[in-house]
Amino acid sequence: MTQESVKKIRISRVPGGKAAGGRYLVFDIEDVISIRRNNGICAVLTGTMPQNPTQNLFLGLPVELRVEEVRLLVDSGAAYVAEELAEHLDALNKPNHEAYIDSLREKRVSAQKAFDEEKNRVRAMHADKMKDKRKKDTSASIAQPAGEGGDDSLFGGDAVPAPHTKKEEETKPLPAITPATSAQLVGVSAGVDVPIPPALPFYRHLNSKGYYTTPGLRFGGDYSVYPGDPFRYHAHYLANAYGWNEKIPMLDVVTSGRLGTAVKKSFLFGAEQPASTPEEDGRVRMFCVEWAGM
Amino acid sequence: MAPTQHMDALVRIVLNNLEYQHDWTQINTHTQRDLPRKLIYGLPPKRLYVHPDEQVEIIKAEKERKDRIPQEAEYEWVLPLHLSEKWSPAQFAAVFDAIKALPPVDIEDDEDGDAPWRAWRGPKRGKRILLATVQDDSTVTYYWIHDGLVKPRQN
Repeated sequence: MTQESVKKIRISRVPGGKAAGGRYLVFDIEDVISIRRNNGICAVLTGTMPQNPTQNLFLGLPVELRVEEVRLLVDSGAAYVAEELAEHLDALNKPNHEAYIDSLREKRVSAQKAFDEEKNRVRAMHADKMKDKRKKDTSASIAQPAGEGGDDSLFGGDAVPAPHTKKEEETKPLPAITPATSAQLVGVSAGVDVPIPPALPFYRHLNSKGYYTTPGLRFGGDYSVYPGDPFRYHAHYLANAYGWNEKIPMLDVVTSGRLGTAVKKSFLFGAEQPASTPEEDGRVRMFCVEWAGM
Repeated sequence: MAPTQHMDALVRIVLNNLEYQHDWTQINTHTQRDLPRKLIYGLPPKRLYVHPDEQVEIIKAEKERKDRIPQEAEYEWVLPLHLSEKWSPAQFAAVFDAIKALPPVDIEDDEDGDAPWRAWRGPKRGKRILLATVQDDSTVTYYWIHDGLVKPRQN
């Protein structure tokens, strides 16, 4: 097993949100890919652009997870939850951050390298083009008067421009970077406990059967449930999780069933049946409602 | 009115609605000790539910036979409910656990019993109940409720 595959996903808990515990965010793109690919969790992109914070059509990192998704990942051992604010304060209050500052410098140097490489590539491309053009020009202008040849010297004909001098490179400051994560500062932590949400058994059951879920508000439920990755499938169900003895108004069942049918979905609701003995696990029962067409 | 009278009135509304508005036949009520309330079963004039996978199998079979397969109606369970009621998942589970997939009627087996397109018929079908929700103005609306994850029909 490589070092990469045993690396646990870091879920950042930050204050805020409607739940008491706060919000759960993932900042590392590798982690986001991993939970989608390996755990069947899409989560929701929540990051917007600092320069245009009101646009919400195209959102980016971080992604926000529901508590049940967090709990699922933590229980499976794939992730840990870090108390982000406390850990950052802790790390910043330590006397020296040499390692962190070094890591930042390293990143800036490698960013500079990447820029330089790109610049040289573009330059070389232009040089090739110029050469081609010049060849064509000269072959076409053989019969031309000699005076025309002056163009070449005027526009720096011998394409490749002189490279920067050594001195120039040294004095130029390294580019500024915005790191996507502060992993270098805080490192890996032991992880904190996450509350068990009431919907966890329901959600875990769906996830274990390979269903993907997204927030279901647009169809009036807790979840939209997809039979595979939402990039490939339409949702099959709009779903609500209830308690085993929670009373559901029939009007809710009827309206959800009706709305679901209108968008070619069925209304799925379910609950965990408590186990008869403490040793056993509960069993999740699910029911699907759709309009009968009569 | 006593609670039983309320219940009888509710069942009566649904019975009448099934018989006179939806032309059901052979309608009966079904009482069972472990059932939370009286159920109704009967035979609709035409087939009410075709599972999407069954539909695919039927089309395949029809292509092979180069002939339509007649879809005769099936007996269905009906659960009368008032719109103002509140039911818990536990109650729905109790109803499903108490019933068999098919209402208690004699149905003759037919010769195509093992064909793949027959796998959703008769006793092999998944448990399903028609929720007959009655409103105060005696409007009755019908919704399928399936036991377990059943994918939606492509209406």
